[in-house]
Amino acid sequence: MPIAIKHLTHTYMPGTPFETRALFDVSLSIRDGEFVGVIGHTGSGKSTLIAHLNALIRPEPGRVIVSGVDVGQKGQSLIEIRREVGLVFQYPEYQLFEETVEKDVGYGPRNLGLPDAEVKVRVAEALSQVGIPEELSGKSPFELSGGQKRRVAIAGVLAMRPSTLVLDEPVAGLDPAGREELLKLIQDIHKGGVTVIMVTHSMDDAARLCGRLIVLNRGEVAFDAPPAEVFRHGDELVEMGLDVPECVKLVKRLNECGFHLPDNLFRMEDVERAILKEVRGC
Amino acid sequence: MLKNITIGQFFPGNSLIHRLDPRAKLMLTVALIVAVFLSQGFAGFALVLLFVAMAARMSRISLKFLVRGLKPILYIVIITFVLNLFFQSEGRVIFRWNFIAVTDGGLRRAAYMAVRLVLLVTSSQLLTLTTSAISLTDGLEALMRPLKKIKFPAHEIAMMMSIALRFIPTLMEEADKIMKAQMARGADFESGSLFKRAKAMVPLLVPLFVSAFRRADELAMAMEARCYHGGEGRTRMKQLRYGRRDLAAALAVALLIAAIATLNALGVF
Repeated sequence: MPIAIKHLTHTYMPGTPFETRALFDVSLSIRDGEFVGVIGHTGSGKSTLIAHLNALIRPEPGRVIVSGVDVGQKGQSLIEIRREVGLVFQYPEYQLFEETVEKDVGYGPRNLGLPDAEVKVRVAEALSQVGIPEELSGKSPFELSGGQKRRVAIAGVLAMRPSTLVLDEPVAGLDPAGREELLKLIQDIHKGGVTVIMVTHSMDDAARLCGRLIVLNRGEVAFDAPPAEVFRHGDELVEMGLDVPECVKLVKRLNECGFHLPDNLFRMEDVERAILKEVRGC
Repeated sequence: MLKNITIGQFFPGNSLIHRLDPRAKLMLTVALIVAVFLSQGFAGFALVLLFVAMAARMSRISLKFLVRGLKPILYIVIITFVLNLFFQSEGRVIFRWNFIAVTDGGLRRAAYMAVRLVLLVTSSQLLTLTTSAISLTDGLEALMRPLKKIKFPAHEIAMMMSIALRFIPTLMEEADKIMKAQMARGADFESGSLFKRAKAMVPLLVPLFVSAFRRADELAMAMEARCYHGGEGRTRMKQLRYGRRDLAAALAVALLIAAIATLNALGVF
C-alpha cells in the first residue's frame, strides 16, 4: 500500500528545556513494491520517522497517509494501519514474552481479533517464512539462540500479514553468517510482494539491497534517490557522519591512481567487472 | 508517555546547598522533619516554610520543580484533609448538612494535617533535588557505617540504592520501547476494563523483567571485571569532609528548632 508523508515535523517534549526537533518538514512517498533504505547518523530522525509510519506517533504537524487513510485523523482505527504496516524494532527479540514460540508469533494476529484456526495458519506460515523449523514452535522463545529469537520476533510481525514491512536495523548485533541469512530473508519477503523499508547503518547493505535510499540529516531529507546517485555525494555523506560503501572508496582510490572507472558503481560485482574491463582493455 | 516522573529527580547546580556534605544534608533533613512534627500550630509551620523557601532560593531550584514534586501526594493531601474535616468534632459547628457537621476545630485540624504533609514532602524534596544519587548514597553509607559493628550491611544497601536509582531512567526508556513494539503488534494498553488492561500489561512486563535480569547479570560481570569485591578496603576519590558551611547549616536548623520550641513553650500556635 502506498505511503505518503507530507510536511511532517516532530518535536520531542515541546515547551520544556529538553525540547528537541527530530523531524523537520519531511515529505516523501513510498510506492508499492519498493525496497527503500533509510540511512542517517544517530539522532537524524530515522526512528522517529518510522514510528510515524505505524501511527505510534501522531503526525503533528504534517500528514501521513497510508493507502489513502490519513493516520492523524481523529477516530481513525490505528489497528488497521498497524496491520497494513508491520514495524520491526531494533533488537526485536527483547519484545518476546509468551511461553511458546507459537503463542508469541500469534500475539499480533490475536490482537487483530482473528479466529484461532486462522491464527494457527498464519503462525505456521510466518515461521516457515523466517526459516524456523516446526519442532521449535512449542519451545519457549527464551531457549532459542540470538539469531533464532530475532527471526521469531520478525515472524511475529509477518504473521499480521502487513503489505509494508519496516525494519529498524534488522541485522544489528548478529554475526556475519546471521546477517547474510537475515538479509536474504528480507530480500525474499520483498520478492514476495511486500514493500520493505529498512533503516540501516551499513552503507554496503544499503547499496546492495535497496532500490532507493532516503538520507536523513538533522531531521531533514538530505537525499532521496537511487544508491548510485546518493553515493556520488561521498563528501557530503561523510560530512553528515555517514560513509560510502567500500567499493565506492575503492573506485575513488583507483581513479586517483590513474584508472578511469565510472563513478556510478556501488556494487562489488559491478566494480569487479569495470576493473577487469579496463585492465583487459589496456 | 512515561517521562513525567519527578520523584527523586536531581536538579543540577553548584549552590551552597548543593555543596553541603551529603551526610550533613541527610541529618539536617531529618532534623527539618523533626521540626515539622514539633510545630503545634501554623506559626511553627510558617517558620519552617520560610526556612525551606530560603533554602530553595539559595539552591536556585525553580519553584515549579518543588510544586511539581507535590503532584504525586496531591490525593493523599486531599483525602487527609477531607477525613480530618469530617471526623473531628471538637469546637463550634460552622456548617451542618444532614449528619455531616464541620466544626472550626475540625477545619483547623484538617488544614494542620494537610500543611504538615506538604511541608514534609517539600523539605525532603530539598534534599533529593540538590543531591545527586551518588553523593546521596555515599552519605547514607557513611552514616550507616557505625551499624556495621552489628553486622548491618551498610555498603551493600548503599550500593543497591545507587544501582536502583541509576537504572530507573534506563528501565523507563526500555518500558517505553517495549510498549511501542507491542503496540506495533496491535497491543492496546489504553482501553478496556481494568482486568483487560491489567492483562494487557503482561507483554510489557515479561520482557521488561527479562531485560532487567539480563542487565543485572551484565552489570555484575562488568563490576567484577573492575575488581569489585564489596566495600571492604575500598577507598574513595571523593572523601566526605564536613566544612564550615555544614556547621552554618546545622546552626540554622538548630535555630529553627529552638524557635519552634520557644513558640510551643509560649503557647503561640
